[in-house]
Amino acid sequence: MPTAAATRCFHCGETLAADAMLFARVAGQSQPVCCIGCQAACEWIGGLGLADYYRMRDATAPRAAAAVDLSVWDRDELQRLYVYRRSDGSAESNVLIEGLRCAACSWLIEHALAAVAGVREVSVNVAGKRARIVWQPDDVALSTILGALARLGYTPHPLNRKSLDDVAMREQRDALKRLLVAGLGMMQAMMFAIVLYAGDLEGIDNSTRDFFRWIGLLVTIPVVFYAALPFFRGARREWRARRPGMDTPIALALGLVFVASAIETARGGAHVYFDSASMFVFLLLGGRYLEMRTRHRATDVVDALARLQPAIAQRRSASGALESIGVHELQAGDRVVVADGATVPADGILVGAACYADESLLSGESRPVRRRHGDRMIAGSVVSGGPVEIHVERLGAETMLSAIVRLAGQAQQQRPQWAAYGERAAAYFVVALLCAAATTALAWWYVDSSRAFSATLAVLVVACPCAFALSVPAALARALAVLARRGVLVLKANAIENLARVDQFLFDKTGTLTNRDVELLSVAPLAQRSADECLAIAAQLETGSTHPLAQALRSAAPAQAASAAANLRSVAGEGVEGDIEGRHYRLGTAAFALGKRPLADADEIMLADDSGALAAFAFREHIRAEAAPALAALRAQGASIEILSGDSVARVADVAQRLGVETFQARANPARKLDRLRQLRERGRFVGVVGDGINDAPVLAGADVAIALGSGADLAQANADIVLANDRLDTLVAARAIAAKTLRVMRQNIAWALLYNAVTVPLAALGAIPPWAAAIGMSLSSLAVVLNSLRINDREHQCKPLRVLHSDDAFAPVPA
Amino acid sequence: MTIVLLLIPLSLVLVTCAVWAFFWGVNHAQFDDLDTPALIPLSNDDVGLPRDATDHR
Repeated sequence: MPTAAATRCFHCGETLAADAMLFARVAGQSQPVCCIGCQAACEWIGGLGLADYYRMRDATAPRAAAAVDLSVWDRDELQRLYVYRRSDGSAESNVLIEGLRCAACSWLIEHALAAVAGVREVSVNVAGKRARIVWQPDDVALSTILGALARLGYTPHPLNRKSLDDVAMREQRDALKRLLVAGLGMMQAMMFAIVLYAGDLEGIDNSTRDFFRWIGLLVTIPVVFYAALPFFRGARREWRARRPGMDTPIALALGLVFVASAIETARGGAHVYFDSASMFVFLLLGGRYLEMRTRHRATDVVDALARLQPAIAQRRSASGALESIGVHELQAGDRVVVADGATVPADGILVGAACYADESLLSGESRPVRRRHGDRMIAGSVVSGGPVEIHVERLGAETMLSAIVRLAGQAQQQRPQWAAYGERAAAYFVVALLCAAATTALAWWYVDSSRAFSATLAVLVVACPCAFALSVPAALARALAVLARRGVLVLKANAIENLARVDQFLFDKTGTLTNRDVELLSVAPLAQRSADECLAIAAQLETGSTHPLAQALRSAAPAQAASAAANLRSVAGEGVEGDIEGRHYRLGTAAFALGKRPLADADEIMLADDSGALAAFAFREHIRAEAAPALAALRAQGASIEILSGDSVARVADVAQRLGVETFQARANPARKLDRLRQLRERGRFVGVVGDGINDAPVLAGADVAIALGSGADLAQANADIVLANDRLDTLVAARAIAAKTLRVMRQNIAWALLYNAVTVPLAALGAIPPWAAAIGMSLSSLAVVLNSLRINDREHQCKPLRVLHSDDAFAPVPA
Repeated sequence: MTIVLLLIPLSLVLVTCAVWAFFWGVNHAQFDDLDTPALIPLSNDDVGLPRDATDHR
């Protein structure tokens, strides 16, 4: 039986109205759901015997949509682009799945698709939000498979078949293999090294000693020549660019220690250091593996575009009939029909009926804009009040959307490359290391040439940049974990350092400082009716409308509503009219309500009856609750703040004034935003950009640190260094404090590593350090660095407990 | 001590086998998804079979 406490949709978690009547039967129990789509998804999941999904998931499912026609995916023209035919006759495709949130989702998808006859293989990648599907084209059509995904409530976007070559997956497999080889090699090498250390203390005959040295060499060979290969490649790259980074000292020290130890083994010299060398490789690879996993969570530009641009268009043929075709088949001059709520596939001119176009992600305009016959429509904008017909003018690479993507690409290339903190120190370290080794070799050459080689080797091992090379990655890995737990995903490792240095923040307005809702600002009664009365009438007229203004009216309306409206009729892009208690009312733009062209503000809508205007409603944007305290805290941390928006001057000024921001720029297109960024940088500011829209992508790509909101456009996230996955601006404040602490810990780590070397290298140069002491000292100094990094925690910057939204965060704790 | 001459090569052979097995696993997608398999024991054994909603449980 339905429980009284359950006020949320069982499937998608949406809050239910008190009088919800829809229930789905799952696992023998009746559960409340919000809509037919969710009911169908819920019962289908239960029918497949997969109801366990609801127990295992830790994020609610996307709201299931009503059925969409997917049969167009079976067309040959589309299949050629999106499906790979394997030699055994089966077909393979890579599908980006919108709404894939947690491991339970991937479990559900794998099992639900396995139940579709003809599907041979499904592998879901939660981090990449992709599924690779192999099926038998004779038994099942692609549209059936996509339909199954859609019924579960996910939105499938097949990706171009080139994407089957998954670079991220290959990189991860490669790293995992190298890490394991280094780990096993390290264990073996240490085991044999302990025999040698014991032999040093208690005596060992030379033949046994040499035997264990040769075995040690044998197990270290794969570590150096396979596992450590990325370091040698990196060092070669750095050498070619004449810019020594972190890989150069690592490769140098590792190569010298290994070669020298091998020579010592061959000639029966004093000491070998295979254990130190392989431990060094293992610790470094571990750090890099963590960093790589973070990087792979970043949204790809390709994926972002796949979600933004529809793959299918409805073309009106010469005979007037509608046909579904792939967007790549469209040509300039075609006419396409775009349904209500669908995305415009190409730039063009609106023909026929007027509509609203939501371009907020593209232009920063906060409200859906009115488009009339003959107006421009841009690809990527969402139509409301459709269906509409568009005369296609520009396609693919020529659209405004593509131009923004190109601008972002250029900005990314011109972005100043701030060498990471560790990298700059590394250059000095290489020089110091080589000088110390050379000095030791020369000095011993004059004093006692027989000991020159072993003393130089000891210097190299002791000065081995283990603690040094770990000092930055250890602090970063810890900071990444702490930030991920708060819902801040750091996608580029040096973004943490840069965030701590930012002294100027540029905020986008629409969607960043405000959310997409509007709120009712005032009601001005123009006739004898009271404001509350007019509001109640307006709310009744807007019953069932999804327009943001309608929602604002409904939520502001008094509880004692007017009696229900009849004969409701909405005119797209204009307003609604209807009868209440026998009187005819019109609500909408002043032109629509009064039937004449007025001088009223565009942000107002009017209510009128047959005798004239009754009331004017003014709206304003809803500023995020945490925006004002977050901006105040950033200012207190010493950063200045500016708003850059594509919206109108009046709206930007209003938001700026309410948030106490003095400098702002309105009507800024992507190029103007970039200009402003360059201007600020020329004045020596270190600029962080916070944005969420596609129009922010170029300025994000060019920023010193780019921060995108989790709810924002994928294209913005693809160009960001940091994503606020929980969508709260106040986490930025905490993130900045944690970043500053991380920078401090890094400096301490490096200082400690240098101090350790400064003390031990002279001792090693004098030949006073036995190999076992060198090995222990190296481990202890590394341990000190790791322990110091653990001091980075989020206890001191607590603002409010936050829920982890995405369980695919590598470091996120599993919710109980 | 001569036993060491047997045991050490033996351990190296075992390590080689372990590395080979791990590489096989990585190449066959055993380590690509480390999140989902943790949920499998929590589910019933009879999942994945298409059945009618009516005879469920």
